[in-house]
Amino acid sequence: MKLKEEVKILLFFKEDEMKQIEKRSNRGISGPEWKRRGFIFVFLFPTLLAFCTFYLYPLLTVFFTSFAKWDYSNLTSPEFWGWTNLFNNYQYIFETYPYFWEALRNSVTWALLGIFVQIPISTLIALAFSRKMRGIKLIRNIYIIPCMISSAALGIIFLQLYSPTYGIINPIIHLFNPSFSENILLMKGPAFWAMTGAYIFFTGTTTLMILGNIMAVPEEVREAALLDGASGFVQDFYITIPMIKNTLKTVSILSATAGFLLYNEVYFLTKGAAGTYSISYVIRELAITSPRAQFGRANSVAFLQIIAGMLIIVFVNLIYELPEICSKLRRDRT
Amino acid sequence: MKQKFRTLNQLPLGTRIITYFCLGWALLVSLTPIVWLFLSSLKEDPLARPGFQLPESIHLEGYISTFRDLHVMRYFGNSMLISIVSVVISIVMISMSAYVVARMEFKGKRLVNVMLATTLFIPATALTYPVYNLVNQLGIYNTRAALILIYSCSGIAVSFFVIKNYYDHIPKEMEDAARIDGCGYFQTFWHVIFPMARPGIMTAGVLAFLNNWNEYYWASLVIIDRDKLTVPALLSTFTTAFRTNYNGLFSAMVIIILPPILLYCIFNKFFIEALSGGAVKG
Repeated sequence: MKLKEEVKILLFFKEDEMKQIEKRSNRGISGPEWKRRGFIFVFLFPTLLAFCTFYLYPLLTVFFTSFAKWDYSNLTSPEFWGWTNLFNNYQYIFETYPYFWEALRNSVTWALLGIFVQIPISTLIALAFSRKMRGIKLIRNIYIIPCMISSAALGIIFLQLYSPTYGIINPIIHLFNPSFSENILLMKGPAFWAMTGAYIFFTGTTTLMILGNIMAVPEEVREAALLDGASGFVQDFYITIPMIKNTLKTVSILSATAGFLLYNEVYFLTKGAAGTYSISYVIRELAITSPRAQFGRANSVAFLQIIAGMLIIVFVNLIYELPEICSKLRRDRT
Repeated sequence: MKQKFRTLNQLPLGTRIITYFCLGWALLVSLTPIVWLFLSSLKEDPLARPGFQLPESIHLEGYISTFRDLHVMRYFGNSMLISIVSVVISIVMISMSAYVVARMEFKGKRLVNVMLATTLFIPATALTYPVYNLVNQLGIYNTRAALILIYSCSGIAVSFFVIKNYYDHIPKEMEDAARIDGCGYFQTFWHVIFPMARPGIMTAGVLAFLNNWNEYYWASLVIIDRDKLTVPALLSTFTTAFRTNYNGLFSAMVIIILPPILLYCIFNKFFIEALSGGAVKG
């Protein structure tokens, strides 16, 4: 850090000079301006095209048709609801559609579980993997395996695991309640948690991303902490975790979003039965699966989902800034 | 001395206990479903011996019939083809644009940044109907091309930021040196920057590959013909196809999850290094 500042100070005096040299050299070496522009255009174009076809155009469609009557009866020509009942679709979703609130509650819970359960678990396991011990590589490699299998396959495996006749969950419940013979996927309440259990512990990729960052923490920092008497998890808590905060933030956003968008598990385990709808499942059902497809209404749910996606990012950022905000407030007070 | 803080025997007791607990948990969680599935696939009638009871005798009929009737390789071929082609397209595309954004000054650079950042919080499922519609209008509904298109365009934000992050670490002098040696823009990119950013590009590529390989939502949406299905989409036909033949169902499931596990066992070094950004050795 210090060195960098010194260099900066040294450079400061010569900044103007440097800029001039840079300008000259750029022109001299790289050829004419049109070549540079052409290069930029050619390299950006494919990405922009992909963005426009896959994100911009669909996004605009979602936004505008969420204010239109558009369903199985007028497949090709969405009709604007008019300014007076602009929010007709939204009203239907909020007041008439039976599964929206349930789906929203579930999806938000899954997003929160992503931040507050999945990330702590992955961090703990990543810290455990960062120790030196015989056989630890093997365990680490095994832990990644479920991430190599698709969540669809895991969904089917768990469907079997939860089966009351030949699964392994019911025998465990029998230890406490011998007369239990129901399918937990059909019970309101337990079904939600059963579904959560089918995905939440498979954090292989997140763990690896965190582990990568833990290993990149400079050894000197840890050694200094060791001299101060901090070792093991105490050291990790005060030294390592603050140093990998940015990565933790990124993976929190990823797993919160993944939880919010849960679809495969819902489809394979319950198909929405027993209070397990998710927002993605609602959209798919309204727009595609249902014989009386409601594209306009599906798109208004989709628009709400996009807003929620934004809120998740804001929320995660807030959580990670919270300690700093608190300490700032404390400093202001004193 | 040097790695004292990592060697487990020298750490405080509490830390050791938590570490063993975490490792035990990791093993339990990742092995239970797979071991159970494998055991069940060997039982003649999983209903008769539920849970973790060992099979009375080993039955391989399910495997034999699955290999004979299911043509698993075809679906793996589809999955492979679609995942690899779309990863190549998206990674080439993104590594180009990320380079321009990371290294060059031009009007609208901030706009490009913001645009790509917004795609991070646009859930792909929210775009279900418009994309479905687009695929229909392009006349590629029910073709592998539709999935390739969707996979190459979705998830560009993550790849973009991972790769751009890597470009930012490469010293600017490298380019200047290349330019002085007479390289044009493209040559500089191709011969100097691209090879240097390989760890980042690999991370992005592996992440994208895993996502595409496991993707179920779109795969079940835009493809109908059985012989074009990818592996995850094939799975949804299983519960009906094997309604009562549990031995068959479990055997088929094992066959479906085996190739990715084998691939991983062979290339785990590569996967682990790529996912951890090169910091962890496999």
